[in-house]
Amino acid sequence: MANGTRVSFTNVSKRFRTPKGGWYQALSELNLDIEPGQFVALVGPTGCGKSTALTLLAGLEQPSIGNVEVNRKIVTDIDTSTGFVFQHDSTFPWMNVYNNIAAGPKFRKLLEFDSLVKSWIAKVGLTGFESNFPHQLSGGMKKRVALAQCLINEPSLLLLDEPFSALDVQTRAIMTDELMTLWETNRSTVVFVTHDLEEAIALADRVIVLTAGPARVKADFLIDLPRPRKARDIRFDKHFLEIYQGIWKVLRDEVDIAYQRQLLAPAKGNAK
Amino acid sequence: MNEDFLTEEVIKRRALISRVKIHSFQTLFAVLLIGSWQLLTDRKILDPFFYGKPSGVWTQLVTWVEHGTAIGSLWVNAWVTLYEATYGFLSGVFLGIIFGIFLGRNKTAADIFAPYIKVSNSIPRVVLGSIFTIWLGLGSISKVALAFVLVFFPVFFNAFQGTREADAKLIANARLLGATNGQVTRRVVIPSALSWITASMHVSFGFALIGAIVGEFLGAQRGLGLLIATAQGTFNPNGVYAAMLIIAIMALTAEWLITQLENRLLNWRPSQVSGLEL
Repeated sequence: MANGTRVSFTNVSKRFRTPKGGWYQALSELNLDIEPGQFVALVGPTGCGKSTALTLLAGLEQPSIGNVEVNRKIVTDIDTSTGFVFQHDSTFPWMNVYNNIAAGPKFRKLLEFDSLVKSWIAKVGLTGFESNFPHQLSGGMKKRVALAQCLINEPSLLLLDEPFSALDVQTRAIMTDELMTLWETNRSTVVFVTHDLEEAIALADRVIVLTAGPARVKADFLIDLPRPRKARDIRFDKHFLEIYQGIWKVLRDEVDIAYQRQLLAPAKGNAK
Repeated sequence: MNEDFLTEEVIKRRALISRVKIHSFQTLFAVLLIGSWQLLTDRKILDPFFYGKPSGVWTQLVTWVEHGTAIGSLWVNAWVTLYEATYGFLSGVFLGIIFGIFLGRNKTAADIFAPYIKVSNSIPRVVLGSIFTIWLGLGSISKVALAFVLVFFPVFFNAFQGTREADAKLIANARLLGATNGQVTRRVVIPSALSWITASMHVSFGFALIGAIVGEFLGAQRGLGLLIATAQGTFNPNGVYAAMLIIAIMALTAEWLITQLENRLLNWRPSQVSGLEL
């Protein structure tokens, strides 16, 4: 079974052109090493550049300075052994559930994929919905399609960009547990971006707090909660709460900084 | 409070009643329109010599069906116009889609061709009819060519725009899932451009008919355009209306076929987006 790849950011900065012609600095001198098979959560205030880190890992964008390496190779383009679950719905609206999940195997020209696809449909609990189109599914079901569509290719590096943020609280807890179960069977390297600290601690081996944008690593916490975990129950665990408080103390400052900036931003506009 | 749920039967009956209501108003409107036209021309308030009259249009149609027209059988003339429009439509749609998608996917090619496309689009295309008649003669080919240029541009622009607007996230997702460039085009770009393309097809069959008929006005041996020109030349307004009626029937049939095709191709869309039934 695919057992994860090593990931490293060395001195990575990324800036974008803004529509007004200025520059927006998303990442600044980010340094980070992730062991094979590790489940890492990146947390940080909104808009701090967490998602940018993922797009660099996926090869969708190139860093302005520095190197992003996957498996000790510098990422220069999309690599199909990387899986990406996007924040927003990225299922193909013109394909039914079956074809959406079969998309990877079909693109890769696998010959025998029918039983594989069916087993994934069953794994994500969508049996009976094979011929439904995405618009006929609920948000949670679409997310499960997106997960299965990605995981069926057995990515050795799995990137998750706030995959559950659009879901309601209950669905979200269920999906978190499902993801946990699926991951425990193959242990790929996972980089999970979220601004929900509870979710991050419940899922990850390691929680990395990023600074308010441009993002740098502010703190790095190992989460020593025993596995297998049940995300739904673990949040009432005493040790969980201690970890939560420890990380929140660090994260809170960054959230405050980001919030202050948000408040100041329109004021600057008015002063002009 | 006693709120009963509406039974299936009640809902169906209400829908039926509202449908019947709409249809009867539609019929009433047609009767009023045609009836007042007939009445005004019967009473000589409108001069039937210039304005024709509904009963005259009907008689004209019957004569054409029974005895043929001044330029030969009605069916032959209608058929000529229909196939000129259809050939022009199909070739214009086909090449419009191919070029639109190609240039939409290939930025360099789009930049190179952009000024040429703008210039050729800015020429009033009906004028090309004269050139095609000179080049290709009085036969059907010049009409097909005119219908083609009228159809090609709207389809091309829509296919181009639809390709450009394909969701970047879906393309990225497809590539991460292992799609090659060709697969991205076929499995992601074309399906997402399809609603743009079918939208342009709705208008462009009308353009194809315009192309065929204007071409026939400019010089032809057969066709409904020639039939209209002949009727105009003999001050026969009923003949003009009768030919118009036949053209309208063709256009509506084509529109219906295109809607069927659209519904089949775009069966994945939520039904409320499929548009008004017009």
